Amino acid sequence: MTKLKRIFMYIFLTAAAFISVFPILWMIISATNQSVDVTKGRLLPGTHFGENLTNLLQTIDLVPALMNSAKISISTTILSLLIASLAGYGFEIYKSKAKDVVFTILLLSMMIPFASLMVPLYRMFGSISQTMPAIGIDTLTSVVLPTVTTAFLIFFFRQSTKMFPKELVEAGRIDGLSEIGVFFRIYVPTMKTTYAAAAIITFMASWNNYLWPLVVLQSPEKMTIPLLISNLGSSYSPDYGVIMMAIVIATLPTAIVFFLMQKHFVAGMMGSVK
Amino acid sequence: MKKMMMLLMASVLFLAACSGSDSADGGGGSEQDSNKVTIWAWDPNFNIAALNMAKEMYEKENPDVEIEIVENAQADIVQKLNTGLSSGTSKGLPSIVLIEDYRAQSFLQAYPDAFHDMSDSFNVDDFAEYKIAPTSFDGKQYGLPFDSGVTGLYVRTDYLEEAGYTLEDLQGIDWNEYIEIGKKVKEATGKDMITLDPNDLGLIRLMIQTAGAWYMEEDGVTPALAGNEALKQAFEAYKGMMDADIVKPNSDWSQFVANFNSGDVASVPTGNWITPSVKAEASQSGKWAVAPIPKLSVEGAVNASNLGGSSWYVLNGDSSEAAADFLGKTFGSNADLYQQLVTEIGAIGTYKPASGGEAYEKADEFFGGQKIISDFAGWTEEIQGLNYGMHTYAIEDIMIVEMQNYLNGKSIDDVLNDAQAQAEAQLK
Amino acid sequence: MSSKTKTATIGSSSSKKFGMNSKMKSTLIGWSFVMIAVIMICTFYFYPMVQALILSFQSGTGTNLEFVGLDNYKRLLTDSTFLTAVKNTFIYLIVQVPVMIILALFLSVLLNDRTLKWKGLYRTAMFLPAVTSLVAYSVIFKYLFANDGLVNTMLLKFSLVPDAINWLADPFWAKVTIILAITWRWTGYNMIFYLSALQNVDQSIYEAAKMDGASAFQQFFKITIPMLKPIILFTSITSTIGTLQLFDEVMNITKGGPGNATTSISQYIYNLSFKYTPDFGYAATVSYFIVILIVIFSVIQFKVAGDRND
Repeated sequence: MTKLKRIFMYIFLTAAAFISVFPILWMIISATNQSVDVTKGRLLPGTHFGENLTNLLQTIDLVPALMNSAKISISTTILSLLIASLAGYGFEIYKSKAKDVVFTILLLSMMIPFASLMVPLYRMFGSISQTMPAIGIDTLTSVVLPTVTTAFLIFFFRQSTKMFPKELVEAGRIDGLSEIGVFFRIYVPTMKTTYAAAAIITFMASWNNYLWPLVVLQSPEKMTIPLLISNLGSSYSPDYGVIMMAIVIATLPTAIVFFLMQKHFVAGMMGSVK
Repeated sequence: MKKMMMLLMASVLFLAACSGSDSADGGGGSEQDSNKVTIWAWDPNFNIAALNMAKEMYEKENPDVEIEIVENAQADIVQKLNTGLSSGTSKGLPSIVLIEDYRAQSFLQAYPDAFHDMSDSFNVDDFAEYKIAPTSFDGKQYGLPFDSGVTGLYVRTDYLEEAGYTLEDLQGIDWNEYIEIGKKVKEATGKDMITLDPNDLGLIRLMIQTAGAWYMEEDGVTPALAGNEALKQAFEAYKGMMDADIVKPNSDWSQFVANFNSGDVASVPTGNWITPSVKAEASQSGKWAVAPIPKLSVEGAVNASNLGGSSWYVLNGDSSEAAADFLGKTFGSNADLYQQLVTEIGAIGTYKPASGGEAYEKADEFFGGQKIISDFAGWTEEIQGLNYGMHTYAIEDIMIVEMQNYLNGKSIDDVLNDAQAQAEAQLK
Repeated sequence: MSSKTKTATIGSSSSKKFGMNSKMKSTLIGWSFVMIAVIMICTFYFYPMVQALILSFQSGTGTNLEFVGLDNYKRLLTDSTFLTAVKNTFIYLIVQVPVMIILALFLSVLLNDRTLKWKGLYRTAMFLPAVTSLVAYSVIFKYLFANDGLVNTMLLKFSLVPDAINWLADPFWAKVTIILAITWRWTGYNMIFYLSALQNVDQSIYEAAKMDGASAFQQFFKITIPMLKPIILFTSITSTIGTLQLFDEVMNITKGGPGNATTSISQYIYNLSFKYTPDFGYAATVSYFIVILIVIFSVIQFKVAGDRND
């Protein structure tokens, strides 16, 4: 590559990085400003960080909501990854005509807008509540169950499995591993980066999920973070400094998960795949 | 492999623990208990605060009734109610819910068996007349009227003076005069007269209600757009403001508030619930006043209107008797509560016996010593009663599009005829 | 595990090789891998989907529904709000998805360059938008693109535009704002997929290509694109689906306005169900229209990408 090209490359990447980071930076800055300055788009950090934080903690039950969101997101992520990777692996490794048809049908489920599934789904959980209140309406389990299996993730694992060296499966069998053993001992460790990407995406989606928890959760002590933020903005005299603070706090866990998982990307990229 | 199994086990245990704690606190099954009243409302500084006062008063005399107040955004309440009511399961729904008057008919009609008849729980004649049509259905009274959306013209008296006007010049004017004043104000101060959000036709709504007109016929279902003289004049006034270049655009609530808090606009014609937001900018104390809302120059139009406002509804269920009793004894008949609401949160109710009294006569220094509560209470009595009907927001979305067309040069008659045709097609 | 060079050459044909186990047993094992997923999706997607289909032949307000046959589907064709929403959604789709995919692909290739300095920094920066919540970024964009928001202030300061651009209230610029917002949020997200896939592409292939004198562009089109084909197909389908179901951004940034200039189909469904007097029947009809659209698009994309001959 010529020098000029390299310079352009760095300029381009720097610009892209700046555009990506700037709005987030502004969000963090705004969390330290008072309401009026936020709406004016003030660029400098202010002195209202402590005040915004205290106001936020006084107006909403932040900690229980964080706990609820964490419980939901963590269990959704673990179960999702397990179910979807098993399926993605199954569809690709044990490929058959019949399974391809089933797979295509599963993909259809990705396509219907959630807004139109909501009423039938709610009705379903309504009737579950009659017999099994522990997983019916207004429980954390009812938030997890419908979102834990997505065709999206199955599709993702299947497409990634297409790039998985399949002679490894054969090698595993020759070594005397059972079929499920091949999956856990060979596939899972090899596809570490795929799992990391999937974990980030699932966790994020679950953490930020709004529509379904909104309709299925009723009691205040079950509220998740996005629901609380929505309430904050509903006042006729909202405090935007406090809202920005809430948004920053709500974003932290997804950022942390991302940074934790990112290590695996980096490891992968340095060529550590044996 | 071992790691994986550990992870699996951990996740299963974790989930079990989660669902375990869920069932432990009973899954919020409020409907089994006829003495537990759950209430949904929005806005912590206004409705929720009012509820807390009512709760405190009521629980003193009725210690066996447990009242739980749940705060949700208004849009969220509408969505949860629609999902819950349409699914036919009463589980998870509250006993009392606050519904905006514009939406009330839509709920009452869509879910006829869901609401508790409140006719016997309070005296309808005690409330401002204009609140009754939106809150009743099929001859029965379902809603207990709450806050007044009575409107006023909030103005910056300092800007007015610079342009050579006094508050006296704003009494009893129509919208054309308002625009003329706006032009002078802009000339003298460089400030815009009004701030508007092109996606919100609240101004049109409050304009046509000064003439007792609405988007729909009195039956509440037939669109009345084509040939609606009041609507035509309102559109013309709206365009007049745009053409006179006295409008500062905004695109949401925060910018709307920021535009007058920063001193960029000279007047805000809107509901009285804006008072706390206006007063939030303490440095402008003494510079504001509230004039009567301008009217349309249609026969029978008055200098009083309404924007927003909501009422309490009881949903049928085990606790609906307790809920109706709570509402009847607090918002339905307690004048002291309304006095307290005015003093502590500036909420103006529509309960007539309470309008008077000390709290209403207090002078507000922020508004140059004006007795604004008393003025608002007076205007409330003049508001023309209307049946908002079923489809306010559906029609408004059509009107928003047609307003853009009108501003871009389409003729007013075409605009209203096209809107009528669209509304008829959509609402059959 | 010494599979380094074979990755690219292995096709699905290898699965036929182990017919040693009895076929029955292998089929059974295969199905048991996918079983949980199939059951879950049937319960939580297809069962409600069937109910929604039945709903789409009914109409009425709230619980007062009655069967109207195909009336709802006929109504679609004359519903001007719906047609505007379809038009808007197509504009988003045609402009935004290709721009985003190409940008994400391009960035991921640059970031995968071994000689690049501050790689981690760039990568992290570009991923960050994907980490923010929808509520957060909608609020931020609304303020940044406000009339006297930061974007206008900057543009005016550097005299890039003569007057402030009415980002949120002008029908054209409002669409631009939505497209910018989605691109900002999702480009890094798609890049995650490409980057994680690019590691599976063997660097020695590139080195060999370089020895043969292939230019960077040739490497990109001859090696990177074909190698990433499954994942490109995946992201373009999911992005298409995402765009056709576009809701949060429009709802939170412009509310569909000005007028209907930015309304999406999903937002119209939401309005029909929850903003207006609810007509769940008609809302279900509109959503089935999306399903049909997406099926058509997915078939086209599968065909174009030629997934069959892998």
